[in-house]
Amino acid sequence: MEALKSAFDFSDFPRTDIWVARAVAAGLLVFPLLPHSSFAMATMIQFLMFSVYGMGWNTIGGYGGQVDLGKAQYVGIGAYTTAVMMIRWDVPFWFSLPIGMGLAVCWSFIIGYPLFRLKGHYFAIATIATSLILKDVFESWSFIGGARGLKIPLKGEMPNFLYIQFREDYYYYYIMLGFFFIGLFYLNWFRHSRIGFQLRSIKDNEDVAKSLGIDSHWSKIKAYAVATAFVAAVGSFHACYNFNIEPEDVMSLDLSVLIALMAMLGGAGSLFGPIIGAAVLVPMKNYLGAWFGARAGLVGLDLIIYATIIMVIAAFEPRGIWGLITRLRERRSD
Amino acid sequence: MEDLFIQISKAVVAGLMMGLVFGLVALGLTIIFGVMDIVNFAHGEFLMIGMYAGLLTATLLRVDPLVGLPVAAVVGILLGLVCYYSLVRFLLRGPIVAQLFGTFGLMLFLRNVALMVMGAEPQSLHHGILVGKSFVVGPGMVIELTKLAAGVLSLAAFAGTWWLLNRTKIGKGLTATALDGQAARYMGIPTERMNAFAWALGGATVSVAGALLVNFWPVDPNVGLLFTMIAFTTVALGGFGSIPGAALAGLIVGMMINIAPMWDACAVYLEMEVGWLHQFKYSFVYLAFFLIMVFRPRGLFGWKH
Repeated sequence: MEALKSAFDFSDFPRTDIWVARAVAAGLLVFPLLPHSSFAMATMIQFLMFSVYGMGWNTIGGYGGQVDLGKAQYVGIGAYTTAVMMIRWDVPFWFSLPIGMGLAVCWSFIIGYPLFRLKGHYFAIATIATSLILKDVFESWSFIGGARGLKIPLKGEMPNFLYIQFREDYYYYYIMLGFFFIGLFYLNWFRHSRIGFQLRSIKDNEDVAKSLGIDSHWSKIKAYAVATAFVAAVGSFHACYNFNIEPEDVMSLDLSVLIALMAMLGGAGSLFGPIIGAAVLVPMKNYLGAWFGARAGLVGLDLIIYATIIMVIAAFEPRGIWGLITRLRERRSD
Repeated sequence: MEDLFIQISKAVVAGLMMGLVFGLVALGLTIIFGVMDIVNFAHGEFLMIGMYAGLLTATLLRVDPLVGLPVAAVVGILLGLVCYYSLVRFLLRGPIVAQLFGTFGLMLFLRNVALMVMGAEPQSLHHGILVGKSFVVGPGMVIELTKLAAGVLSLAAFAGTWWLLNRTKIGKGLTATALDGQAARYMGIPTERMNAFAWALGGATVSVAGALLVNFWPVDPNVGLLFTMIAFTTVALGGFGSIPGAALAGLIVGMMINIAPMWDACAVYLEMEVGWLHQFKYSFVYLAFFLIMVFRPRGLFGWKH
């Protein structure tokens, strides 16, 4: 009960923030009722997916300060668990979802134990290495389709809520929106929780945290498992939403980095940071890609613009957009 | 039995020659990392630009690919300096996260600029005094001249860098900056300029490695990531900041990539399944990185961390 109360307690934010957040939440709820193109709908679903990825990353990467660049391996585990179970044994999405999350969390414990003996750059590169190894394994494992990936068969009648197969996109939108709000409230609890405070003290100064009796290794592993569960859940959804998964798609380094990037661009270590980051980057990437990708000779221009923004943000405001907002506010109150 | 021996020694020789080039690729990364503790994700892209520099010099000017080496070195120096002064200088002030993403943004930027300018098609060199020539050393043992030359020239580049760092004043300044930046500043060493020098040197060595590599490895804009990972592994294995370490670790990584053909030779002899290991060619490299970082973070010859 106490935990539930703390999950809905946003009182440490300024009142304007809460009103903006409510307005955005209301906007998200009614979005499918407004006139929109199917491209806009797909972009919104992607925005929600990346927000949840980013929220997950934020637990370990933002609050814990451990830059994880290997999240794609858990997207892969979640997506493949759902797809394989659906194809081979006809298991509905809602049953394979927790199994996929469980498998991903088990794997995160196995590699998290040695991984968290590393710090800083070394940790970041090692997460890339583990992710790439798993991708190689998946690409050559014929049971799960190898490099060609898997195709989820259609179940006939639609809408099918058990296997989440729909003709209209707004069903997917609302399912993802549900994940989004659960994630948001969970994270709101997380940042007030014991582990949340432990992580922040580890980020500030690990030696001091240890001297205060925090088992920093174990706290990091726990936070890493939470991050993994988030990411694997969206991975499972991704498999059903796309009907088609392949290792290059769900397990590439680009995805790992994109996840971390959105969280960082918005502001790592803040509750709304990953959401802001996804809200900026996903539409930008999609629309720029659609504008420039169609024109010959301009392939890659969208990514050049995108890369420039990343570099500028990293060089001048490493705390991201949220940091920028905080700084402006502090200046005004002076 | 005879055949097994030949197959394995073939794989070993191929591994050693590739390894020298890998060592040179990693050298730039180890210099940059050793001096200022910054991970350069764009390292593979520097290599890619070096490869294109070598390729374009050879094809546009219609000269031998070997002429491309100094051109690539100059391009690498300029690239390193531009990156340092326009981006890395600012990144150094921020936290680790900012450094990781800043250089990642650089990687994305260079890769897509290359994609726009050069197109996505893989390109390779077809002419030159070395291309296509090979000599036979023993029964079944053929050594391609391009690879041999790449190995030998890599060794020369290693020797040159070693001399520069250990026997010249500027090199000693660089080493001092790497050991303790603040103390070096008190001694009157311009550490800011030393950082820039490290980037120039790193860019030059990796571009030369690229120009050597392009003789026998097709280049496309996405070639960088694989080499970034190989370079990270080599640096981790050799120890961050160690030059002889990078050379030796390069050889070891070259061998790792040739585990698959070695296994094939043994598998034929033992009558087991052949060929399945080729898919995991690079997994060995990644796995090695992981294991080294966990069990021996200092690497073989590391003096930092």
